[in-house]
Amino acid sequence: MNHVFRKLQVTVTQQASILSPSLCRTAPSIQHPVWCTASVGDREYKGMPTHGIGRWKYLLPRQAPKKKKDKTQMKQMVSATDTAYGTLNVKVSGYDMTVVEHYSQYIHNLCNRLGIQVAESYALPTKSTEVMLMQEQGNKMYVEAVLKTHQRVVQLSSLNTSLCPIFVDVLLKNQPEGVQLSVKEHTEADFQARFKARPELEGLIAQINQ
Amino acid sequence: MVSRSFPQLLTCFNRTAVGSAGCRRFSITPPGRATPQSNTAVERVTSPWTLMAAVCLQRLPVITADCSPIEQRFKQMMQQMELEKSLLSDHELRLMEDAERMSRKQGNEYDSDEEEGHGDQAIMLAQDLEDTWEQRFKSFQPAPRVRADLDKDLTSVQRCLADSLVLLAEQQVGAEKLWLLPQAAWQEGETLRQTAERALCSVTAAGFKATFLGNAPCGVYKYKLPKAARTESSVGTKVFFFKAILADSAPGTAPNTALLWVKKSELQKYLKPAYMMKVDRFILSL
Repeated sequence: MNHVFRKLQVTVTQQASILSPSLCRTAPSIQHPVWCTASVGDREYKGMPTHGIGRWKYLLPRQAPKKKKDKTQMKQMVSATDTAYGTLNVKVSGYDMTVVEHYSQYIHNLCNRLGIQVAESYALPTKSTEVMLMQEQGNKMYVEAVLKTHQRVVQLSSLNTSLCPIFVDVLLKNQPEGVQLSVKEHTEADFQARFKARPELEGLIAQINQ
Repeated sequence: MVSRSFPQLLTCFNRTAVGSAGCRRFSITPPGRATPQSNTAVERVTSPWTLMAAVCLQRLPVITADCSPIEQRFKQMMQQMELEKSLLSDHELRLMEDAERMSRKQGNEYDSDEEEGHGDQAIMLAQDLEDTWEQRFKSFQPAPRVRADLDKDLTSVQRCLADSLVLLAEQQVGAEKLWLLPQAAWQEGETLRQTAERALCSVTAAGFKATFLGNAPCGVYKYKLPKAARTESSVGTKVFFFKAILADSAPGTAPNTALLWVKKSELQKYLKPAYMMKVDRFILSL
């Protein structure tokens, strides 16, 4: 409701200001509409010619309000054509997180430069591997080290077959040590694997279906 | 025009420590490989050029190249900076606690009941752990990075582990024997990539496993026959190059042609200038 009031006031005072600035200071008390007499004393600044100068949100395109109930949809999978590969997953994995992350950033930047469209760039959960060694005297195993495997995925929406050998060659020549690179097709199963399993929900659904 | 087949690509490249073969381990699994369909009903325009396909087989570097002096200095500086900015790790904290506890034990007012129950930490000090690790590290012998004798042997695939090498074969072209990338003539009903695969097999006698990087060629070389030899149907040859990466080199059988593994800088000594100019463009020296 305030929005409407302000709009009316602005239009009223703007008209006043066009005529003469001196009128603005005295005019508000006369020209304000009847229903907002309460705010006359505080809101005198609205008469300023610069009122509303910083407004920008009204210029943005209307966005539909985001509903939280929407399940995260998978981006459309591009299918392979005769001259381009479909959605590809370039997965980089290794033990050293800085190297893996920097390499995945390098791949992303390279794609931007070469004009290859990158659909998504995400990380898969880290897997911890415990290295256990046998004790020298005795049968017990003790924890020697914990190795964490980090994985980053750069998803390309389409890759031209003519560009593919060059792209892969550059990737291989710049591959750092201790990092595994894998290029695979993207499948629905890959997308679903990223979600956490909800055992209670699945149990309830199974009960309903039975 | 023969329609191109479109295999789905599934590759996995591993860059691990020097393996037994001195190469990276590769695996390919193409799930749905469509067979090429040849359109026999289409009229063929016979071109006067003979088509050939060649394969540029590369062995990728196994170890990282040595840093230049500036790179070394920068690396040291960055390591120093990161060390100074970093926080103490769990192991270092333990070391400090143990040292503190030792100094308190030596002191007169030591009451062992006051100490919190550390249990087996008191038995195995962090310093002892470090000593065992040091010993194990000393007993580990890494393989030598550079072997001068192998580096000079041009036929060995294990030479120059820090650079990428290209395979050259000596093949009969016309009247003379030339050093070039292994090539074979294109036959009806097969794709150019299959021709390149055939070229590789014929030259290396099925010892090498190579992963081809795509169906599209990366370069082309046109050779016009000298005017005397030109006829209506053969003006010259066009050679299309395909890139491939060496997967597993199991040099069991001896190849039937002379083979060389050369770096990009050494290519000039073996290839003809016009050929070299075209080949130079697609071999990446990174």
